[in-house]
Amino acid sequence: MGLVPGLITGLGVTLKEVVKTATKGAETVQYPHVKEDPPPRARGVIALHEENCTSCMLCARECPDWCIYIEGHKDLAPPRRAGGKPRTVNKLDRFDIDYGLCMYCGICVEVCPFEALFWSPEYEYSEPRIADLLHDKSRLGQWMDTVPEFEAYEGGAETKAKKVPRP
Amino acid sequence: MAVTDAEPEAPVVEVPTIEHNMATEAATEVHPGQVGLLPRNDAVMRMSEVQMAERADAPLDDENDQTMLMNMGPSHPSTHGVLRLMLEMDGESVVRSKPVVGYLHTGMEKTGEALTYLQGPTNVTRMDYAAPFFNELAFSLAVEKLIGLEIPERATWIRMLMSEMNRISSHLLFMATNGMDLGAVSMMIYGWREREEVLRFFELVTGLRMNHNYIRPGGVAADLPDGWRDSVGRLLDILPPRLAEYDILMTGQPIWRERLQGVGVMGADEAIALSATGPVLRSTGVPWDLRRDMPYLAYDEVEFDVVVGTYGDAFDKYAIRLNEIRESMRIVHQILDKMPKGDYRATDTKVTPPPRARIDESMEALIHHFKIFTEGFKVPEGEVYAAVESPRGELGCYIVSDGGPKPYRMHIRGPSFINLQTLPHMMSNGLIADAVAVISSVDPIMGEVDR
Repeated sequence: MGLVPGLITGLGVTLKEVVKTATKGAETVQYPHVKEDPPPRARGVIALHEENCTSCMLCARECPDWCIYIEGHKDLAPPRRAGGKPRTVNKLDRFDIDYGLCMYCGICVEVCPFEALFWSPEYEYSEPRIADLLHDKSRLGQWMDTVPEFEAYEGGAETKAKKVPRP
Repeated sequence: MAVTDAEPEAPVVEVPTIEHNMATEAATEVHPGQVGLLPRNDAVMRMSEVQMAERADAPLDDENDQTMLMNMGPSHPSTHGVLRLMLEMDGESVVRSKPVVGYLHTGMEKTGEALTYLQGPTNVTRMDYAAPFFNELAFSLAVEKLIGLEIPERATWIRMLMSEMNRISSHLLFMATNGMDLGAVSMMIYGWREREEVLRFFELVTGLRMNHNYIRPGGVAADLPDGWRDSVGRLLDILPPRLAEYDILMTGQPIWRERLQGVGVMGADEAIALSATGPVLRSTGVPWDLRRDMPYLAYDEVEFDVVVGTYGDAFDKYAIRLNEIRESMRIVHQILDKMPKGDYRATDTKVTPPPRARIDESMEALIHHFKIFTEGFKVPEGEVYAAVESPRGELGCYIVSDGGPKPYRMHIRGPSFINLQTLPHMMSNGLIADAVAVISSVDPIMGEVDR
């Protein structure tokens, strides 16, 4: 193929694409107007179900870049049965995740044994100031509504997947 | 075959001493043994930063000055990140050159010593960010080799599926950037469009588009989700006609061929002496592919061809990658047929945390869960090297363990890093415009070079 015919066939491919874009619309998703639906497994943002957290610190110490900050104290709760001893419960004072540091590796969600942390596929939380990416526990709690239902446990497991706790 | 011929010769090459490296006119004293294997050894500029600065301060001598020293990069758009090249130019052509690395140094190898084997993959996956699964795979294979852990068959095949898909996405990225570097700008958008489809599949399976932390010591993080077959099948339907478009746009395109053919030529002996791997080595005609020659995972159970070139030029390196996409698709087709059922991670309780459902019903499982995550699992003392064939060549992971839950030392043999040392040899006596084509054909990922 000579230079000029080569050029023309090459331009033919791009021209086809131009015609396709003009008639059928672009291949790309026009973001602010159209939003892509992330798959249920998408790691968008971490949601916190505060009632389940026992401030065991497992997530904070397993986080590879230490972006979780937890403070808590022990509190006395009324006894379950009348006449019993008051129970000690862990109260969460502070649970912050710094999304400026987070690597989205998902280790915290995996290690949480009490089902307090969940992945939500939401992704629209960018901030003009990096300091605002530090989400506190109330902000993390708001994401709970967007958490998708659990997938079934690994194939062949007899236990049914549990329900995601809803506020 | 060239591989077996060159191996006994390799020890003859004398490593240049430090003084030799520092000497400005080192090119004059080339060891005789090096001439045969590295005919263009004088193309490497052995000049320190100080010597270069001294030359910059020297008064101009218009009559005797023959060459010009020039820096390309570190922030040059065609250097794939932050590669800096010191070039000695004679007019338009490159006489000697020296790649300078280290501008993206992140200390990931050192960080790896502070992270447990469970946290390790999330660190190594950030090295070669265009092919993250291969980093995780090399790391996991090394750890498993040290423990002597057998992983379930399904985990092996999932790993193979993900790494072949990753090879496709990485080579598509190469198609995009290679076109962009050489002025075929629309190619960038084509390559990116197809890569996006592969990344969607990754997001479906792992939850992230890159840096997945999916392949781990003991298996993979999660089983394949529902609908993965449709997603892969759709991709395998989309890709062939689009690759045919690439053939029209680039492979058969006289403009493209004239730009690339005969640029950055390297011989087989030279490539082996420089320990180049991957498409850079295969373009010279050496059929060396770890998937076939030292099979890992289940690559001995699938059929594929190792694509080799003839001329060792930039066009061969492009064509090899394009056809490796087709070979990878062939492997993925076979994986779809052969994907076994079973566990996606090992059931060895020393390495694998208890299943999620057990934690709520058993106190022992909860204790086990805490223990495995707070302490990490212990890996026997010893050292190990495991290598995989990444899209850029042999990606190896070397781990020394002192018996604790963290590696005593972790080292990655990055193919980009080692292929970079072929640059001066391929660039010598070429035009500076061809230097861009040469860098692009090596396809270095700087995150892996500097680690």
